[in-house]
Amino acid sequence: MPAALEGLRILDLSWGIAGPGGVLLLAEQGADVIKVEPPGGDPFRAYSGSHVWSRSRRSVTVDLKREQGRAAFVKLAATADVLVESFRPGVMERLGVGYDALSAELPLLVYCSVPAYPPGHRSAGRPGYDALVQASSGQQWEQPGWRMGPIFLHMPMPSMGAIFLVPTGIMAALVAREATGRGQHVSTSLLQGAFLYTTQIWQHVEHATAPFHDLMGKSYPPGVHQQFIFECADGEWLHTSVMSGLTPTKTLDEVLGLEDAPDGFAFMSMGSEEREAFTQRRREKFKEHDRDTLVAELQANNHAVEAIITMEEAFSHPQLVANGMVAAVNDPELGETTQIGVPLNLLATPGAIRGPQPRIGEHNDEVWGSLGLASTEIAAITGGA
Amino acid sequence: MHALEGVTLVDFGQYLAGPFGPMIIGDLGANVIKVEPVTGDGMRMAGKPFFGCQRGKRDIAIDLKAPEGLEIARELVQRADIVHHNMTAGVADRLGIGYADCKRLKPDVIYCNTWAYGLEGPLARFGGLDPLYQAAAGLEYEAGAVHEGNPPLYYRFGMTDAANAMLSVVAVLTALYHQRRTGEGQEVWTSLMDGGAFFSADAMLAGGKPVPRPRLDRAQHGIDACYRLYETQDGWLQIAAVKQPEWVALCGVVGVPEVADDDRFATAASRAEHRTDLERLLEPRFLAKTSAAWSNALDDAGVPNEIPLDPHQGDLMLFDADNVRLGLTAEYEHPLMGLMRQFGNLIDFSETPGRIDGPPPLVGQHTREIMRWLDHDDAHIDTLVEQGVIYEPDAGLSAYRERFGTW
Repeated sequence: MPAALEGLRILDLSWGIAGPGGVLLLAEQGADVIKVEPPGGDPFRAYSGSHVWSRSRRSVTVDLKREQGRAAFVKLAATADVLVESFRPGVMERLGVGYDALSAELPLLVYCSVPAYPPGHRSAGRPGYDALVQASSGQQWEQPGWRMGPIFLHMPMPSMGAIFLVPTGIMAALVAREATGRGQHVSTSLLQGAFLYTTQIWQHVEHATAPFHDLMGKSYPPGVHQQFIFECADGEWLHTSVMSGLTPTKTLDEVLGLEDAPDGFAFMSMGSEEREAFTQRRREKFKEHDRDTLVAELQANNHAVEAIITMEEAFSHPQLVANGMVAAVNDPELGETTQIGVPLNLLATPGAIRGPQPRIGEHNDEVWGSLGLASTEIAAITGGA
Repeated sequence: MHALEGVTLVDFGQYLAGPFGPMIIGDLGANVIKVEPVTGDGMRMAGKPFFGCQRGKRDIAIDLKAPEGLEIARELVQRADIVHHNMTAGVADRLGIGYADCKRLKPDVIYCNTWAYGLEGPLARFGGLDPLYQAAAGLEYEAGAVHEGNPPLYYRFGMTDAANAMLSVVAVLTALYHQRRTGEGQEVWTSLMDGGAFFSADAMLAGGKPVPRPRLDRAQHGIDACYRLYETQDGWLQIAAVKQPEWVALCGVVGVPEVADDDRFATAASRAEHRTDLERLLEPRFLAKTSAAWSNALDDAGVPNEIPLDPHQGDLMLFDADNVRLGLTAEYEHPLMGLMRQFGNLIDFSETPGRIDGPPPLVGQHTREIMRWLDHDDAHIDTLVEQGVIYEPDAGLSAYRERFGTW
């Protein structure tokens, strides 16, 4: 069974996380993706995550600042359904490959832009590294941490929002193209990616009451789900949750071996001091248990719980393995690696990893040659790299 | 015309990871029908998170356990291009709206489940909430800097809900494109578990050992001396001196030009190696002036930086003039809560613009309208309402308030 996007060609000129990683989701559903890099390569290759975000595609280099390079690129674009770029607004136009220039000749092309800020925004000309958008969009202030003030988000959140908006925009435009027969310009940004994660916390409501704001509000120290994190023996941690969708066969306190524990109703009826004292007893009891043994026993009794582990440890998580999300990839620079698998499951048209991150310009001869370029021309437009 | 104009999605989901994806698909122009229990979505009590995932939908409240209720659900499926939900294992099949059932009703249907753990496997029978998958994907470990001796830290944005929902959007649209080209529908699925792992995609093992990647410091400032928050005289500043000329300019601005020539800090790699030394050198410099003073000077010298914004629960961003003008915010009137505002278009289309089709619905707000669309006459609708098979709010909403409150 062929994959869903077999026959679809995407040119990926983007750098960073959102563009390459968004394209990854489509590449592994069968799209033929060509990473188009400047001579010397995409500078974000220096970041380890690039090995994953830029896998499952071919690589060509081209110097778009040379007319010959631009002309070859336009020839390549004529074979593509989709183009993705992540430069500051105006950069592609200056290179003569902006949306207006290309769409005039290629009306079917879906042209996707993902800069840091949208064109016309006062910050559109400012640098757009992820952490800068974390700061300017207010996300660092929204996250409580182990000190007061803004907290650096280790997970590059604006990029991790835009990473989904890129393939969503592209696929919506491709569905529309089936009806209209035309391509279009699809734009999103890291700022809009950051907005994606305000779904659960940013609602301005005219008739809101204080409890409406407080219920899920930011608190210091961190609240809500944070209170269900417990330390076990040897400084290891786990996270319990309030619902598993199943009926527990023993209570949490029974599994912990906590004597004289109140039932749920009695716990809720306690005064705050009494409740805090009991919670402290429970926290101490957790520390007597080996984490993994306790997680297994709680799960066996239908409790929702997970060990707090690193992602590298998660490659051994039996459910992640069962989901096909632990994959072996032979990377030309790193050798045999373990990476995440394909997180989209289309049961009639299954996706798959289509290879490691390619070397810089690895497919220059194959791709440029297929367009009829002679080897001297290829050398000229790629700077030999 | 909108990109997904004419597409109908029936959303049987509750809570967050189910309903958020259909909301985004609705913003792209699809007709989204929320099928809600007559007792209300289990997430309504939480207020903000519920509203955040429901705007633009039309809502029919049905008791799916009543045979007549199931029949209405089946009529909806017959008119659907997409069926979407996040029920736990076996529930949809028991109700009679599993993939096999829906395929019989609509042979080319696209059927999506956003699971907690996954379709099959040792924990597939469990439901679960976002924190478990932040734990299992390494997010809480890295966010808290547990390797530095801190406790783990939960991100309060509900990231794996959003990831699961957005993966489901990409899966559904990919399947829809395939269906439009071949006529073939299919079953698709995503999970909170895989959504969490997707965030940690930069984690790898090479030869069985972890490949080094950037980590947070104990005080949660950042991942590199030149890519972190610094405390200033009156607040904070995020800098991102990534390129070599930016690093050299940074040294000049903060008044230590000689540091740029120090061998320990000559390259990005050596700066990472001597991170603590460099941070001890830069921290007292930043404390000597205000955030705005540093930001202006760094801007002039070409060093990327931003002053972290305190967004006041989002209001400063939701009322920001540029954001409003560019359509990044949306406003609509809710029957009980008044004017509501949330982020607007997350994606802009030159030819098929998106649209925000109104506020989050009340329980059963469109029950009658949808029942009429399904060719039921008013007498029959009245009978089903009376029997409690379907529910619609009273005209003045006073009984509604008694039953559901204002959220």
